[in-house]
Amino acid sequence: MSEPVAAEPRRRLHPLSPVIQGAKSIVVVIAALSWSTLSRVGLGWFAAMVAVLVLGATVLAVVSWYNTGYHVVGRELRIHEGLLWRRTRAIPLERLQAIEVVRPLLAQLTGLAELRLEVVGGGKTEAPLAFLGVADAVALRERLLRIAGRGPHVVPATDGTAEPAAPPPPAGYPLHAVANRDLVISQLLTPQAFLLPFGLAFVLTQFLTEGVWSFIAVASTLTAMAGVLLQPARRVLDDWNFRLARDEAALRVQHGLLETRAQTVPLNRVQAVGVTWPLLWRAKGWLRLRLEVAGYSAGEPDDRNRPDRLLPVGDLRTGELVTAELLPGVRLVELPLTPPPRRARWRHPLALRVIGAGLHHRVFVVRHGLLTRQLVIVPYSRIQSVRVVQGPVQRRLRLATVHVDTASGSGAAAVDRDLTEAWAMAAELIDRAHTARRAG
Amino acid sequence: MTEETVPAPDPGPPDPLAPWPDTVRWQRVSRDLIWVELLRLAIGMAVPLVGLAAGWALTGHGLFGVGLVAVLLLGGWRVVAIVRAVGAWGYAERSDDLLVRHGLLVRRLSIVPYSRMQFVDVSAGPLERAFDLATVQLHTAAAASDARVPGLRPAEAARLRDRLTALGEDRAEGL
Repeated sequence: MSEPVAAEPRRRLHPLSPVIQGAKSIVVVIAALSWSTLSRVGLGWFAAMVAVLVLGATVLAVVSWYNTGYHVVGRELRIHEGLLWRRTRAIPLERLQAIEVVRPLLAQLTGLAELRLEVVGGGKTEAPLAFLGVADAVALRERLLRIAGRGPHVVPATDGTAEPAAPPPPAGYPLHAVANRDLVISQLLTPQAFLLPFGLAFVLTQFLTEGVWSFIAVASTLTAMAGVLLQPARRVLDDWNFRLARDEAALRVQHGLLETRAQTVPLNRVQAVGVTWPLLWRAKGWLRLRLEVAGYSAGEPDDRNRPDRLLPVGDLRTGELVTAELLPGVRLVELPLTPPPRRARWRHPLALRVIGAGLHHRVFVVRHGLLTRQLVIVPYSRIQSVRVVQGPVQRRLRLATVHVDTASGSGAAAVDRDLTEAWAMAAELIDRAHTARRAG
Repeated sequence: MTEETVPAPDPGPPDPLAPWPDTVRWQRVSRDLIWVELLRLAIGMAVPLVGLAAGWALTGHGLFGVGLVAVLLLGGWRVVAIVRAVGAWGYAERSDDLLVRHGLLVRRLSIVPYSRMQFVDVSAGPLERAFDLATVQLHTAAAASDARVPGLRPAEAARLRDRLTALGEDRAEGL
């Protein structure tokens, strides 16, 4: 397809899209029919049922592809779809929070990509344009970012012929690349991975003692085990080849083995940064960074489509480097955290020395969590509202909790501050929020 | 726009529901809200009460009587709580933000800058309309923001809505 012009006609998605949608539905159909149906009706009938359903899904996908079109009008992206119920969605690009180019395995084999836009106020990801040619997707992304007024001026070199394991390097200057070895080790240091030997032993003993090869039993057990292992395995697959790059005003995150994702987040759209030190990673001194961007709603059932990864695993120095890039002047080790007063120990007998909150000159910081230590950093300019809440026990102890609400995520809460300090903190936070906004 | 400076609160425990007494002029909500809330409570309690009374009358089992007394006690406590809670509900308009406080058992104070406002909701259910009341709610991009002012006279609700919208447009910024 040619480079789009200003007054452009409606464009279709890539003609191979329905084929991929149909192929994708195979998995869904098999899962819906489940193992027990397979053992009941036999392989032949099962294959026939799957074929009919997949064919139906493909036909629907073709119809929907034929009726779907998109074009850029002024400062809006318009998407038309539907045969019986026509729908036109106009997405104002000023409200664009992040753009992501996703390439599932099938799309990688065919050289396609899906473009996902995150718009604030949307209940879920708006407008997943599935699928476009890779070059088209990247060009459209740059164009939308430029229209959004915060785009990078450098259009990265894009070669659409990327192999599955080696996607093109992210544009801009590279910030950090996570070693795959560290990633695997970090996911082996999770509770799920520790459960694996027990699961295997359970299956083996069952198999050896019963001595019967029952198809359903084995298949179901394997499915259940896969369920337990799914999260660490997914993390490894999703965060494989994790690379961070910095453009002029945007952060580019690229990762994934089977499904590569390239996410672009304008820096001024970062609502909060979360730092997590899981218990089992302490020996290694590792941490994980999380990014909160408005528009990724918590309502999405699948958290893979909630690309909030900033750093899947890294040591403190790396964490500092990445944080400093997002929030200049913020150093993870030098945050002005103060603990709540001593009398708060009635509410937190063990975790008291971990809990802390502080006002940095650019960000609000809170820390909590005895075993899994967590730190939340909210820039003042991203504060939506401030709340002071005091429960009955807190009233006895003259304590109060200061909540800072952000447009995404759960915000930050400074728990159990002295009441006078809590009021002062709330006043100071609101004041700094005003000043930070006015300064831009 | 002049910067409103918020002085640090005086040392010593002030009324926890009314911080900054010098700079903030709190406004109360209408006492008629008590009747709205009481009617809501009565409707909510009617079903279990009737159920329990019917059970008691039909079976004569003592447990139903105990349940009935428990529900009635709970209702009595709620009545007291409602009467006091409506008195505790208050809001204040400062030059840059709206303050809303409510709750007695769990006390909450919300501070919402006008510039973060996304939209304003004015609603009035049938019960509220019967008592000539309306509710104004300020929404920000954060789902947790909690700035709801019930029990306003329609004229006051409209004034508040217009003022909030005007101030919000004045100071509006993107996310």
